[in-house]
Amino acid sequence: MHLSALLSLPASLAFLTFTLASASPHSYTEHLHLLPLPQSHLHAHFNFTATTPLSAYESSHFRYFPRSLAQILQHTRTKELHLRFTTGRWDDEAWGARPLDGTREGGTGVELWAWVDGEGSTTVAKERWSELVNSLSGLFCASLNFIDSTKTVRPVRTFEPEGHHGNAKGGLQLLHGMLPHEVVCTENLTPFLKLLPCKGKAGISTLLDGHKLFDATWQSMAIDVRPVCEGKAGEECVLEIQQSVSMALSIPRSMRERHDPIPRPARIEDVECDESKPWNGHDTCFPKALTGEPAWTLSKVFGHAAKGACDLERDDQAFDVTLEVPSDRPVNATGASELTFPSTTRRHYRLSASSSFDLSLPAHSTPLGQNSPPSPPLYATRQIAGHGQERGSMHTTLRNPHAHPLTLVYMETLPWYQRPYMHTLRLANGKQEKMYYTPALDRKRGTHLELVLTIPAESTATLTYDFEKAVLRYTEYPPDANRGFDVAPAVIRILANNESPQFAGSYVRTTSLLLSLPTPDFSMPYNVIILTSTVIALGFGSLFNLLTRSFVLAEEVPPSPLAGVVRRMRDLVKGLLGKNGDVAKDEESSEVKDGKTAEISRYMREETKGKANGIANGDADLRDRRARGSP
Amino acid sequence: MSKVDPSSEGTADVSNEKAATPPQSAAHTTRRRLIIFAFWAVVVALGLPHWQARLDALLNVHGDASPYHYKVSPAADRSVSPTVLLQLETDDSDSGLHYTLDPWSPTVTVTRGPITPGDDDLLASQLHQVMQQIMVDEHASIALLLRDSPLQTNFRDGSAFTSRFESLQRRTTRAFKPAPSYHLTISLFSGGSAPSSWDIKTATEQYISPLLSALLSISNFTVDTQVQLHASISPAIAGPTFEAATNTWTLLATDLSGFVNAVEWPLSPGIGSGSTINLILYVPHPRQMPLILYGGGNSWIVPQWGGVQILNLPSNTTSHLSAADLEPVMLTFADQLMSLLGVPDSPSSLALRIASLQRQRTISLVLSASSTLGALVRLTRKLQSIAIPKTVAHSVDLTISHLEQACTALSEGNYTAALTSAKVAEAEAEKAFFEPSMVGQVYFPEEHKFAVYVPLLGPMGVPLVMTLIKEIRGLIGRRKGKVKVG
Repeated sequence: MHLSALLSLPASLAFLTFTLASASPHSYTEHLHLLPLPQSHLHAHFNFTATTPLSAYESSHFRYFPRSLAQILQHTRTKELHLRFTTGRWDDEAWGARPLDGTREGGTGVELWAWVDGEGSTTVAKERWSELVNSLSGLFCASLNFIDSTKTVRPVRTFEPEGHHGNAKGGLQLLHGMLPHEVVCTENLTPFLKLLPCKGKAGISTLLDGHKLFDATWQSMAIDVRPVCEGKAGEECVLEIQQSVSMALSIPRSMRERHDPIPRPARIEDVECDESKPWNGHDTCFPKALTGEPAWTLSKVFGHAAKGACDLERDDQAFDVTLEVPSDRPVNATGASELTFPSTTRRHYRLSASSSFDLSLPAHSTPLGQNSPPSPPLYATRQIAGHGQERGSMHTTLRNPHAHPLTLVYMETLPWYQRPYMHTLRLANGKQEKMYYTPALDRKRGTHLELVLTIPAESTATLTYDFEKAVLRYTEYPPDANRGFDVAPAVIRILANNESPQFAGSYVRTTSLLLSLPTPDFSMPYNVIILTSTVIALGFGSLFNLLTRSFVLAEEVPPSPLAGVVRRMRDLVKGLLGKNGDVAKDEESSEVKDGKTAEISRYMREETKGKANGIANGDADLRDRRARGSP
Repeated sequence: MSKVDPSSEGTADVSNEKAATPPQSAAHTTRRRLIIFAFWAVVVALGLPHWQARLDALLNVHGDASPYHYKVSPAADRSVSPTVLLQLETDDSDSGLHYTLDPWSPTVTVTRGPITPGDDDLLASQLHQVMQQIMVDEHASIALLLRDSPLQTNFRDGSAFTSRFESLQRRTTRAFKPAPSYHLTISLFSGGSAPSSWDIKTATEQYISPLLSALLSISNFTVDTQVQLHASISPAIAGPTFEAATNTWTLLATDLSGFVNAVEWPLSPGIGSGSTINLILYVPHPRQMPLILYGGGNSWIVPQWGGVQILNLPSNTTSHLSAADLEPVMLTFADQLMSLLGVPDSPSSLALRIASLQRQRTISLVLSASSTLGALVRLTRKLQSIAIPKTVAHSVDLTISHLEQACTALSEGNYTAALTSAKVAEAEAEKAFFEPSMVGQVYFPEEHKFAVYVPLLGPMGVPLVMTLIKEIRGLIGRRKGKVKVG
């Protein structure tokens, strides 16, 4: 680790330098960077880097490089791989520029891009890509296998290989796929940790706990594999795997007690009201914006302290944890040796193998905003506008806050069922320099749009176009069709520009979108079957009966056996009622205890008697009539 | 009620107080019966055949797979002559008969006293006995393989080996299923953070690669190795217990089956075809050293999965295992690999053992391919509605032709060709059986079709059936009445 080199560079590049400098065969380093953010947030960046000499990789002797991933890469001839699992949103209005200029994060859900050796054939490359996504899907318990041809694009300008591919570069093909719908969770973290040499059992990886990581406001897990040939002419190239987890935690939220994790509103006495607001009164309280930083400890924020060190042949000057706070802030660290360097804002800690490491910082009242966070290269938002189920329009706003123009590549991949009208593409307040466009093919390929744009200094450019929503086939709808379909985020890469060299190579991604398509009523086919069958059966039944039945008078119908049963039942009920009457009579004769009961019983008895009489009379009547009728 | 037509009441039995239907003209009754008959005729003559035809349209049964008759010629001295070389040497000083096996080549050197003229018959029978002694293991294995198959009767004196079956059975259950290629994963699992490196490249080149090249006639092998730190023993077992008397940690025999921590240890199988054979070297955590097995030994085999070996290091600080440290480890791994592949334990010549395995493999592949075909035929007979794609028929044809080739090659003594054909036959048979489009149909219940048609056929059928019953009952009643009257 070359500290002088590290400290002279911008903070964001620190990790990359770190890994480049330490590219020696069979090495492993890990590092945690902690940086408090405004609004009581904490940014933690875990970085784990392992390397293997290419000769050992090719002969399948693995030490720190994970075998399970390596054999997938070997089998699919993947030379460089970038895989991202992301949840949440990085609030760049409040927190400033993205960590590492956005190079180690992905769009919401899963994002994967790789350079595959296609041996000069696109078909071969696509087959290998399909094998790659299927194998990775099994390894990371993610639905990566859903990255099929409709979700795969071949970007032109948005991505550049990070590794050194030498002469082989010409034969490599870049493929890119995104799954915005994928929910990243613990089942993806467990295989991620299994790839590490210390497996989350020692060192900083013990801090990675699914409960805290996926509760973060924003998190991004990244895996980057690339060949590195930094050394001198005679030195061997190495294959490097960088695993990183970047997260922005809300300190009050993650400090919540474990046994009582349900969030409750603070008591009114504890809330500090903003009295400058006009509506502030004795019964109205507008909470003051959070300015300071609450007290926090590493063990409470991450659930437990770091256990031991992942001590694998590292040099004496190596450190595991860097805390970036002003030098006048008191920090209490246990279980680690603090290394002193001529730095004003950074403290470095080296974990000890046997004890557990914890950091505790008292509350900090002075606003952090004194030195406001570095501003991002660009603010980007993207929305779907319009109404109705037939058409819509896409609306992207790109705001350049700097005093110099920005050149950037804007890449969008749209699902095939969202059909853009390219003639409606309008760019307001910017200049479109180039356009790469691959139109969609139904059920085969999605739309791929790449634009090279220049946005003038301190201005906002707006990109709009209209699109049509396709009607899917019945089986193509997911079970939760009414939720809508996820549209992958747009990826923006800032290009090198004479006036803004500091942002070259940074990435900004918009949020993913929900597209609601016309959704049918899914019970319809069954309703149709049942209704049609009923109508046909009804028609058939009537016709058949008309043809085969003979029509006679009601009296001529012989009594059906069912009628006998019904009569017997009636008699039974009658008999029961009669018995009730007897009981009532007994009660009455013996003792009238309750006048009301007696009254009701008598009434019932009389009524049943009457009915019986009536029926008897009726029978007699009928008999009479019959007798009369017959000669 | 008052409008009752007296004429219709005329025949009613008044004393019974029952209504009765008016008599119908004969023409009317006949017409009604004709209508009912016509409807039923439509149902029986058109509806049912159409329904059956719909089911039959889906049916495309491949021709009957007749049981194969192939001959297995037992390994007698005549047929194995190109495979085994018998060298006869005479020794004047010793009149007895001895034989030695070359450990690397299939050569048997037989030493006996001087040959006198007229001794030929005796010599021939002696050589035959030698061959039988050498091949006894193979005879027994083949007898076991054919025991439950219809070919058993074709094999001579199979019953003579029943006493050996138990040990052979154990060997077979331990071994991997025959496959054209295997993936070998050699892993070092450390309980703690050391040792984290080993000189595996040299060790495999020295001890494992020569063995694998000898086994090339059976299968292809790919090898990879890995180092995994902080590997804890599976929580499913009680774990090693500390013996204060000897200051050791002891692992019971019952714990061995659950020793491998399948949840945490990254032992994902290799990509591509072929099974993965895992060979694991476990170095316990310094806290649990030395770790020994109850009853001695330091290694064991997990049947059809791999082998495990425990290595206790003299010093806790060893972070690197040299090739010299790995020598005993690799020798044990080589042994474990042999038994995992089902290489027979005898005779002592490696070449003969591998050749014997080659023949056994061929037979088991032929048996497995033909039983897969049989299962496929049974499946198509059981699920009449299953659609059989062209590719499956093609695979079945290929299997049959390769099975025939394998059998011909076997009877000719061309064992390498026989194994190659048997491998193709097995692969094609499996491909035919696990055809994805057919697997899906196996789980498609017939009831789904009925679920769609029942709402239509149910309400339509009820009046049809009811009328028929009524009519038949009427007929019977009439006949009875007639009989009474008569």
